[in-house]
Amino acid sequence: MNKQDFTRVGDYIWEIPVSYRADMNVPARLYASEKLLESALEDQSVEQLVNTATLPGLVQYALAMPDIHQGYGFPIGGVVASRTKGGVISPGGVGYDINCGVRVLAGHLLFDEAEPLLSVLATRLYQNCPSGVGKGGSRLKISESQFDKLLHEGSSWAQANGYALPEDVARTEEQGQLRRSDSACVSKRAWDRGITQVGTLGAGNHFIEVDVIEEIFDAEAARVMGLQEGAIAVQIHCGSRGFGHQICTDYVRAFQNAIYKYGIDLPDRQLICAPFDSEEGQDYFKAMNAAANYAFVNRQVLAHYVRESFEQALSGKVDDWHLHQVYDIAHNMAKVETHHVSGEQVEAVVHRKGATRAFGPGFEGLPQEYRPIGQPVLVPGSMGTASWILVGTEASMEQTFGSSCHGAGRTMSRSRAKKTIRGDQLRHELEETGINVRAGSMPGLAEEAPQAYKDVDEVVKVVSSTGIARKVARLVPVAVIKG
Amino acid sequence: MTEYWEEVEHTADWALRVWGRDLRALFEHAAWGMLSLIGGIAENDREIIRESYKLSAQDNETLLIDWLTELLYLVEDRHALFTSVRVEMVENCVLHAAVTAQTSKNFTKHIKAVTYHDLAIKKIPDGYEVTIVFDV
Repeated sequence: MNKQDFTRVGDYIWEIPVSYRADMNVPARLYASEKLLESALEDQSVEQLVNTATLPGLVQYALAMPDIHQGYGFPIGGVVASRTKGGVISPGGVGYDINCGVRVLAGHLLFDEAEPLLSVLATRLYQNCPSGVGKGGSRLKISESQFDKLLHEGSSWAQANGYALPEDVARTEEQGQLRRSDSACVSKRAWDRGITQVGTLGAGNHFIEVDVIEEIFDAEAARVMGLQEGAIAVQIHCGSRGFGHQICTDYVRAFQNAIYKYGIDLPDRQLICAPFDSEEGQDYFKAMNAAANYAFVNRQVLAHYVRESFEQALSGKVDDWHLHQVYDIAHNMAKVETHHVSGEQVEAVVHRKGATRAFGPGFEGLPQEYRPIGQPVLVPGSMGTASWILVGTEASMEQTFGSSCHGAGRTMSRSRAKKTIRGDQLRHELEETGINVRAGSMPGLAEEAPQAYKDVDEVVKVVSSTGIARKVARLVPVAVIKG
Repeated sequence: MTEYWEEVEHTADWALRVWGRDLRALFEHAAWGMLSLIGGIAENDREIIRESYKLSAQDNETLLIDWLTELLYLVEDRHALFTSVRVEMVENCVLHAAVTAQTSKNFTKHIKAVTYHDLAIKKIPDGYEVTIVFDV
């Protein structure tokens, strides 16, 4: 596959027509600069995008965002919408880490006032927010009945149990609860893994990061979100832990027979799927929603620990350490949504795998104060580089099923990163630039090195130039906590 | 055949290419290859985990995923640091195996899952080969 296989339909939009391959049901579209397109052609990600275009019941296009990179089955950065009637749901189109996502908190504390205390704060965060491989040392002891409630109620459970403020729940995608969840569709193995991991960060590319809001691009949107130039913000990036991983593993296995039962031909086994309105499809959907609710609670409990850490490290030493929630978004999910396509209202299962919902102004699911500006879109960069806060637009509703990018996207394999970057040197280099680092694994840190990722500014340039998201603020890190 | 496995480049995840002179060896080498990614340091020298497995699946690729997923579960749930992994038999998509392990609180890597991506067990002149992609 090469650049000549694409038709350029916009400055940053590249299309592969259905004629490219006989099994494609819709065209494939990639949002990318030339540089990002060339990077995408270096691995299998574009071929994976074409593979997703072969799924049954697709609407309009198979899409990929500019942070595209090779995944398994779907590319990371992939977005497909499959009709609820006649279409499919694919666990591979969501990923093993169901509702992996990002939460941003912000406050009035200025960096200049916080700087002398950042090292102590970083240590507190590392101590208070359980991280690492395995059970991860959850601080909660949850009964079976409470866990069942948590899986159904999501963030509301967290609020009822003292881990969330009402405004936290309001400023979470779907108010932190997907209602069509059913713990009966979850295996015992998933249950056992999940009940001991609530409120833990995990490892890998999950992190908690303390940032400074470096620049504001949209003063009104920033005001509404409570973002202040020079002030501190916090990002939490994690998902549904072993609970979600097991659910995806269970259903990828269960769907191996479904494709024969329903006569679905696939170019890649990891694209495994079942008709959305089949028993199998509905069981996965309900289990996936339970995992999504779990992940919302997970980030909420971690947010509680972040506030706890700020209080312990900063109370009495700074004017105002308090943090409010900006928003919490998912970037691995399948949601039932209605979109206006070619003059008709279409209900579809929108799969976003390493992609973010980016609904525009007026959407009723947003808290009242956000409806004039659009849904916040949170884009963490790689460790040591910038992150972005954007808002969704009407253009994203028209072009990408209300979707945008989710991060920087990898460009270097983990094995190469581990062989060419030393974690201890990286930590030293980051600390020399003023970034406090607390990490449980130096090889793990090396894998997440900035040079292993695409340029997030380039990724954001594409989404803002195409109009599918609008810049609000750019953040830079001052402390990173990793498992 | 002098190597059991090698790491393969994959942008976002980890991948291993594994070899074995027969399916039994392939499954055993796949286990050790995956465990070599996870790492770990023993808390003490007591082997306190002992498990045996009899698994079956509709095909050998699914059986391989089931087998490796069982080991991942032991790592996560009981912090298992394996000292012995013996695959006794792989025939007609049925596996018998037994493992012993110490415990560890310090693992190098967290593997979320074993994926089906490009997963195909191939017969080669010296035995069998498979490439496995792990979600990390």
